[in-house]
Amino acid sequence: MAGHDSGTQHQFTGIKKYFNSYTLIGRRNYVLLTYGSILMIILGFKMRKPKKEVSQK
Amino acid sequence: MNENLFASFTTPMMMGVPIVVLIIIFPSILFPSPNRLINNRLATVQQWLIQLVSKHMLSIHNYKGQTWALMLMSLILFIGSTNLLGLLPHSFTPTTQLSMNLGMAIPLWAGTVVMGFRHKTKASLAHFLPQGTPLPLIPMLVIIETISLFIQPVALAVRLTANITAGHLLIHLIGGATLVLMNINPVTALITFIILILLTILELAVALIQAYVFTLLVSLYLHDNT
Repeated sequence: MAGHDSGTQHQFTGIKKYFNSYTLIGRRNYVLLTYGSILMIILGFKMRKPKKEVSQK
Repeated sequence: MNENLFASFTTPMMMGVPIVVLIIIFPSILFPSPNRLINNRLATVQQWLIQLVSKHMLSIHNYKGQTWALMLMSLILFIGSTNLLGLLPHSFTPTTQLSMNLGMAIPLWAGTVVMGFRHKTKASLAHFLPQGTPLPLIPMLVIIETISLFIQPVALAVRLTANITAGHLLIHLIGGATLVLMNINPVTALITFIILILLTILELAVALIQAYVFTLLVSLYLHDNT
């Protein structure tokens, strides 16, 4: 089971500091990014549907 | 085996009134509330049992987790006593009903998850991604971990239901087979009877083990979130 990471043995710089699969913050951000992407894809499909119906009419 | 195989799993009625609530409450009568410093034998044995179980089960928890001590001990005693009482012939076992087990599993699991998100939001969210995951696998693993989280209460409930129901069905079938074989071939009936005895001993163990497993898993989910 994945445990807590103190973050001291991993020194990341730049974007890797906030998006990595070792530190708590990095993992949390990746999870939020994944959920956000799924939500955006679903919203994108929902918003496309009425436009399709209008163009067909 | 003239009776319907699933007759023991239907809602028990007495003169048209469902008595399932009484049956669920009944095991609590068997556990007296100790109100003296030195109690009678039954209360002392009960105290010893609760101390033994709580010592082992709560040793992994921190202060926050140990606030669930009463809940976890009540859970193991309830499920254990209900399962054991269900082994009596012609009795109704509430834990064979998926509705009841889901009613126990979902609130307990949800309580641990909500507690985790309230007190350790960062760690709870980070749990959805195992440490050291390679970049291309991250989206897939997040989805898989989310699904495995939501499967937990269903697995808890179905595990208990299936184990107890299967055991009762087997006892019913083998008991029926023993009765039928008595007139046909007594030697085979004796072998079947010995199998029935062994199965009953197994079901006694399963009754206690399933109560322990249910409570232990709830305790582990709590430990992950505190």
